[in-house]
Amino acid sequence: MVTLGEVGRRRLRRAIVIGWVVVSLSAIIAGYRGTSPVLAWQMFPEASRWQATIVRVTGDGERIDVREPWPGGYRWADLVEERRLRAPFTEQDASYGIAATLDLVQHAIDWVAANTPDDHETEWLEATVTYRHNADPPQTVVLTSPPRSGGR
Amino acid sequence: MRHAEGAIHQPGLPAALRASGARLLTAVDDVVDYRALVPLRIAVGVLTIVQLAPFLADAADGRTYADGFTVPYGAWYPELPGTVYVAALALAAVAGVFMACGLFTRVTTTYTAAFFIYNLFLSRTHYHHNRAFLGVLLVGLALVPAGNAISLDALRNRRRGRPRPAEGRRWPLMLLRFQVGAVYAASGFSKLLDPDWFGGTVLRLRVERQAAASVAAGVPQWLVDVIASPQFQAVFAKVVVLTEIFIGLGLLVPRLRTAAIWVAIPFHVAIAVTADVEVFSWAALAALTIWVTPRAHDREVVIGSRIRAMRGWATIVRLLDWTGRFRVTVDPAQDVAVVLRDRDGSVRSGQPAAVRVATLLPATFFIAAPLGVTGRWGVHSPQGTTSRRTG
Repeated sequence: MVTLGEVGRRRLRRAIVIGWVVVSLSAIIAGYRGTSPVLAWQMFPEASRWQATIVRVTGDGERIDVREPWPGGYRWADLVEERRLRAPFTEQDASYGIAATLDLVQHAIDWVAANTPDDHETEWLEATVTYRHNADPPQTVVLTSPPRSGGR
Repeated sequence: MRHAEGAIHQPGLPAALRASGARLLTAVDDVVDYRALVPLRIAVGVLTIVQLAPFLADAADGRTYADGFTVPYGAWYPELPGTVYVAALALAAVAGVFMACGLFTRVTTTYTAAFFIYNLFLSRTHYHHNRAFLGVLLVGLALVPAGNAISLDALRNRRRGRPRPAEGRRWPLMLLRFQVGAVYAASGFSKLLDPDWFGGTVLRLRVERQAAASVAAGVPQWLVDVIASPQFQAVFAKVVVLTEIFIGLGLLVPRLRTAAIWVAIPFHVAIAVTADVEVFSWAALAALTIWVTPRAHDREVVIGSRIRAMRGWATIVRLLDWTGRFRVTVDPAQDVAVVLRDRDGSVRSGQPAAVRVATLLPATFFIAAPLGVTGRWGVHSPQGTTSRRTG
């Protein structure tokens, strides 16, 4: 077992302090780029709002709202319990900003598409997100999951 | 001439910065007393349990993170199997209780911190700034001997005749202070750089959305109209942003620290009242104890029990001295109600002493601090009359 002398311990303390300061400042700077809020400490960054309509697109092109009965007995709110995404159908605040929210919605439909094995009719999921960045005019963006291998 | 001499001996800015950096790095080795962090240890233990409660409720219903939508930060991040995760979660809740009570504090705080951080980064859906802030406090507490005072560990050690000091190296305290200051500063500067925030748009929209509920709750319509007006919010947003930056930088500057702490209290109360930030406000208020000078019981309060009304005050001061700043004694022969002997040897008596004591007690600080500043009562010290600013 390696034991550190006093000089070694002193150096280790300095290294930890400097290392933490560098990591912390890097995370804060990184918060200005990308969609991850981790340790960036940007509290209440926007007053943006968003709402989404999420549908399952079947092999014959039918678009079925995920609130409708779902093969396999799935329910959106059971699959996606995260509080910001549990009820995307009603307008709500974009807690960490629109960019982070759109990123999360994309991940959600991707995850649902990949984790509903008893649904044999859905080809992909599609989220039509309408959002308003602060006081800007509303915008709409369509997000789609990858094609499902479980669909026909 | 004086100017010329000053110019010769004044170190250049880079040299001054280097000297400050060297001083800071030397300070990491100082031994300081962590008694003042006892309230933080207790508060963070309780708040951690509050934060883990939804996960525990899910586990009680037979659900874990693995049963729903998650976004891992990386494929490399280890995912515990369901039963192991539930056991680890339950153990963290128990450890949080132990941590708050100060039982096997070092081990339980370390475990609580480790699981809390693990759970936080298990999925992007678990991440919230207030949880990360609590995680930072947990890590800081795991690195210091905050369980050696006002704890079951301390009681046990005393009974064994082996009381342990709450002393440790300064570097964890420095990291905690840097990180807490950085939270305020980063939040403030991000708003300063955002024209929508600094211009008042973000706050105005938030207020507009709350307007109907505010009126329904009894707030006069005219007041809501004023607060929601662009003109008001254009000014108010700047006040909010500059307040946040002032707290962040002020906490790091000793001369501004008391003022920054004083401003931080209503700031967090306002956030707790107007926004859903889970336990952030309470964690941030508890974290203000990290700015207490890390020297325990270095001031003496002598209560003169000759005055009948003063007899209970010794007990009150002891009960309210959550950060362990005072040695409280009762002197039956003392005519003066209160005498405070400060750490530098200066002595106050009577009302100035009472105000100073109240300034140093967390529960009365907010009311007493302005009295202490405006009063400017004389302090008798070996160096003559002084007015001190440090906490």
